[in-house]
Amino acid sequence: MRNCLNTGLNIIMDEALEDLRKKLRSWLASNAPTNWRSAETHEIFVAQQRDWFKKLVAAGYAIPHWPAEWPGGGRSLAEQKVIYEELARADTPRLLLTFISTYHAFATLSECANDDQKARYLPNILKGELWCQGFSEPNAGSDLAAIHTRAVRDGDHYVVNGQKVWSTMAQYADRCLLLARTDASGVPQAGITYLLMDMNAPGVSVRPIRQIQGDEEFAEIFLDDVRIPVSERVGAEGDGWKVAQATLASERGLTLMELSYRMRGALWRIAELIRTQGRTDDAGVMRDFGRLAARVDSVCAIADAFLRKRIDGSEQLGDASIVKLGYSRCLRAYTDLGVRLGSLSEQYLAPITFGDLNSGNWMADFMNSYAWTIAGGSDEVQRNIIAERMLGMAREPKSWTLGKSI
Amino acid sequence: MTMTREELTVAAEQAFSAQDLAPDAETSWQTISDMGWLMMCVPDERGGLGLGLEARAVIHHALGRSLVSGPAITQMMAIDGLAGGERSAATDALLERAMTGEVMTAPLSHTRDGKRLEAVPDADRASHVLDTSDERIALIPLAGCTIVERETWDTTRRLFDVTPTGEGAVTLAQGETAKQLNAAIQTNMLVALAADALGGAEAALAMSVEYLGTRRQFGRPLAMFQALKHRCANMRAQLSLAEALLWQEVQGSPDPIAAGALKAHCCHAYQHIAEEAIQLHGGVGLTVEHSCHLFLKRAFLDGALGGTCDHWEELAGRRLLAAE
Repeated sequence: MRNCLNTGLNIIMDEALEDLRKKLRSWLASNAPTNWRSAETHEIFVAQQRDWFKKLVAAGYAIPHWPAEWPGGGRSLAEQKVIYEELARADTPRLLLTFISTYHAFATLSECANDDQKARYLPNILKGELWCQGFSEPNAGSDLAAIHTRAVRDGDHYVVNGQKVWSTMAQYADRCLLLARTDASGVPQAGITYLLMDMNAPGVSVRPIRQIQGDEEFAEIFLDDVRIPVSERVGAEGDGWKVAQATLASERGLTLMELSYRMRGALWRIAELIRTQGRTDDAGVMRDFGRLAARVDSVCAIADAFLRKRIDGSEQLGDASIVKLGYSRCLRAYTDLGVRLGSLSEQYLAPITFGDLNSGNWMADFMNSYAWTIAGGSDEVQRNIIAERMLGMAREPKSWTLGKSI
Repeated sequence: MTMTREELTVAAEQAFSAQDLAPDAETSWQTISDMGWLMMCVPDERGGLGLGLEARAVIHHALGRSLVSGPAITQMMAIDGLAGGERSAATDALLERAMTGEVMTAPLSHTRDGKRLEAVPDADRASHVLDTSDERIALIPLAGCTIVERETWDTTRRLFDVTPTGEGAVTLAQGETAKQLNAAIQTNMLVALAADALGGAEAALAMSVEYLGTRRQFGRPLAMFQALKHRCANMRAQLSLAEALLWQEVQGSPDPIAAGALKAHCCHAYQHIAEEAIQLHGGVGLTVEHSCHLFLKRAFLDGALGGTCDHWEELAGRRLLAAE
């Protein structure tokens, strides 16, 4: 209840947040990259990403979600939100290149790795070492437990063969969070082992995937007799599925909060579009804008509520799926409104901004929004989880087998 | 008062069970009054419990969930007017009467036709009607006023047109105070409608999921069909998002435009879920014996009361455009 809260404390907290906001704004005024939207090649984009990450690390804004022992870490959720909002408002690039390193690799290493692995890898993330994720395979996307990539023990090494796909920025990565099968005899989830792979090891080759909007955000990884030391295993052999949950959970908590707040911070782009298209007197457009804004607010609100639940331990099955589904569908609606308002002018090919989901190139943003309705567990998988595990609706019978159907 | 949202929710859900839909109006009103809900949002110094928007939302969520009839929303608006206006012996007495259950009402229509007040719940059994504008807030005795019942599709509410005589009106606020009080009363009304919508949506969704688990066709429970599961998942997601927005907004101090955008968002969810509820129930959902239609009708009425979704979304869009 509102009147249970200590309002005096709130005022002090609000002041501290406003102070952070002011400091960040003034830092951004002289440090925010300005020319990044016009990066002509992926190489220029990557160089700019590295440079921006370095600046943010030095200023203490790169890893607000890490614990306080790291420089720039230990920020409260409220502080993190202020940081994301201000970074979006100042139109700075999202840290896509280091996304897997600072979220997925960090969460996996800090929750599941041994001390030696932590000491070897965590500090290097801040120095710019890049990680990618080797989870999905051509025949194991939404059905991740169906992976076929094999790891066979040979003395103090695993020898790995297989193919990975949809790996974000793998073409630039130094290391990989790899899932491989060490045992195929039991249920699919058992027999998966989690390995940390050197991307420069012999037998690793990477091919970028060209996407429909022109970006190359993802890549395929081919593994041909790659030797990975047993000391690079996270958790026990066969415990990879459990460790992978820590990796994936990092994506569904803080990442979605960051993305939601960035989406809200970019609402000015729709406002700008309404003005340039001369639609400010169009009541229908005003309604659509107002309606979208409330939806964006609801996505931010549920991302907040989810993180609070996670922190106090009251998270329930399906909660994370609702947050992801809410964000992905809202992003689609957001970009759809942009395409519609932009009308014919959005149908002329225009340069894209690499790695941005709210770039203002509306047709490109619309196509890029599939990254969130398909990747990380498609909307359909999330709906299954919500229906079966949250609403308790009966699972489909598993009697159908290949070759026996009519 | 150190009651938490959870404690109040439990109390409200005990008072109005989700199993007993559209309970008897007289008994419900007695319960609402006995539970002290009418004085819940009145400041301590005026004899209330001093709770805020969040408590208000919890109560109306529970009333919406059970499709409770009666003038709870407008009673609280009249009480807000009495508690927030100029204090006198007369208004103290009226406030006391209203807090203990004497029905006082207010129009739920956003527009007015001359002197006529539209969509006034339970005007036939109320003693007073609240008349609000940015210039003046007044409480008008209903004795002598022209009161015409307007039958609505939603039978869980009873609405009237009231043409006041103006005789015996007690002015509660004027000028700047009236403007501020009017905004607060509007916000409270819109939050109440939003909460009512989400309570109803929750019940309609639960009823649909339960039905799909019980009903068998093609040799299996309907709940096993993925096409239907995904629709329920969408309903659940839409409801959870709206709930997150509601519970976030009521922790702050929204103005009427923010509360209107919230009401619109929640009513879209309610209308969609109620619409799907009938479809998912199949033929039985079309019969008056089943309660599906009650949710549909209340959902559409909630959407139209207190200013339409179109109205508030346009204002929210215009304001955001000016700010961004």
